[in-house]
Amino acid sequence: MTVTGESDETLMARYSRGDAAAFEVLYRRHEMRVWRYLERNVGNHATADELMQEVWFAVARDAARYEPTAKFTTWLFTIAHNRMIDSIRASRRQTSLDTLGYEAEDSSPGPLAETVARDQAGALIRAFEKLPGEQREAFLLQIEGDLSVEEIAAVTESSFETTKSRLRYARTKLRELLKDYA
Amino acid sequence: MNEVPPGQDPAEDADDLYRRASALDPSRPSESVRRRVLEHAEQLAAERAAKGHAAKSGSLWRAAHRPSWRPAIFGTLAAVGLAGLLIAPHFYPPSNPVISESPPAPTPRSTAAEAPAPLAQPGAQALSMLKSRDSARSAASPARPVYDAKTAPVPLQEVTTAQNMPASGGGLESAAQDARRYASSADAVPAPPAQMAARAVPAARPTDAAAELRRAAEAGDVPQLRALLDRQTAIAIDARDDGGRTALMLATLHGQNRAVDVLLAHGADPNVADASGTTPLQAALAGGQPAIASALKRAGAR
Repeated sequence: MTVTGESDETLMARYSRGDAAAFEVLYRRHEMRVWRYLERNVGNHATADELMQEVWFAVARDAARYEPTAKFTTWLFTIAHNRMIDSIRASRRQTSLDTLGYEAEDSSPGPLAETVARDQAGALIRAFEKLPGEQREAFLLQIEGDLSVEEIAAVTESSFETTKSRLRYARTKLRELLKDYA
Repeated sequence: MNEVPPGQDPAEDADDLYRRASALDPSRPSESVRRRVLEHAEQLAAERAAKGHAAKSGSLWRAAHRPSWRPAIFGTLAAVGLAGLLIAPHFYPPSNPVISESPPAPTPRSTAAEAPAPLAQPGAQALSMLKSRDSARSAASPARPVYDAKTAPVPLQEVTTAQNMPASGGGLESAAQDARRYASSADAVPAPPAQMAARAVPAARPTDAAAELRRAAEAGDVPQLRALLDRQTAIAIDARDDGGRTALMLATLHGQNRAVDVLLAHGADPNVADASGTTPLQAALAGGQPAIASALKRAGAR
């Protein structure tokens, strides 16, 4: 079997033994998922780029410590979540984690939406940015990271019921925002 | 805020709407980020590999110097040597006895070509064995099997591709087309029996070539793209990645005009949609790529 057909966990084991090709397969497999998670949460291309690099540097550095007791994607998106929170704290974009992303609820478009607002994709992404931050993050962790409700609850340090509610709200609101494009 | 809204079902189609929007979103991480990440990972891997090697060597060295292990080590070496002596003759080609005492007929092949196949090339050896059988049947050939560089096994990538042609080609016609491409690239040298060569030489699977093609398309690496399309036989130009995206779709999403032209010129299907149902033309229009959209339309994109 070639490395391209191997599981994430096997690839991580190979990489931790010094197989750089295994890492490249992993990176390319999850690159866009992590990217969408980061960019849609921070709403800024340059910041997302920085975070992207930090996340994957951390994956490369901590590969030897990774134990396949959990899915690789859960581990990967936990790193992404933590890096993003650190970045938000550092930039003081929000004063409290409890209000993560809530400022996006106003009607002004975010930086990402401004750049691509003229086309349909831009309008859809702009609608997506209007989701409250906690709901948006829960939704992104599920749809991009394939995390279960329990895993999202653990990553975001929330209860199971709260997480379930956030996901439900996110989908309801997203559908409402996107109904013109359905 | 954290309660489930009463009377509302979760919007199941929200996921689909989101995925469709994502497919149309041209945003990508910067190429420089990807390069830095992969370089960094490679550097760490090299360090780890070096450490692992040193640790392994060190432990063997220590083991060799531990008196209690010496009998075991020498015993193992002796067993390996004995096994080698017993097994090795089975790998030599069966030499046809020279019946006539007259010198063998002169052969046009070079002296170097007459050297027996080195053991390190089991594929070539297998070929030599086959050739020697054929030679024996014809009775007009040299007495010894001859290794000829011209009949050396074609790279397994081509062999395995040829083996997989019907499956990967997706039909008799494409399989036949693939076969023609394969035949032309093999430069009319008869290919060895696929199953024998396949066992002989390990190589990458054809799916790797498709992944390479997608990477080259995505990065706009036209020389690499051309090299893959010209060199690879039966390459699945419309093979998809995990997201259902073909090389053409990736080139479109990344605004790689020249890569799009090259792929279309090589027969990429402009109407293969990704997993979310988005076609390359839709992606080009949504991404503000009029040149690519025109090229796709000229190629029959709908």
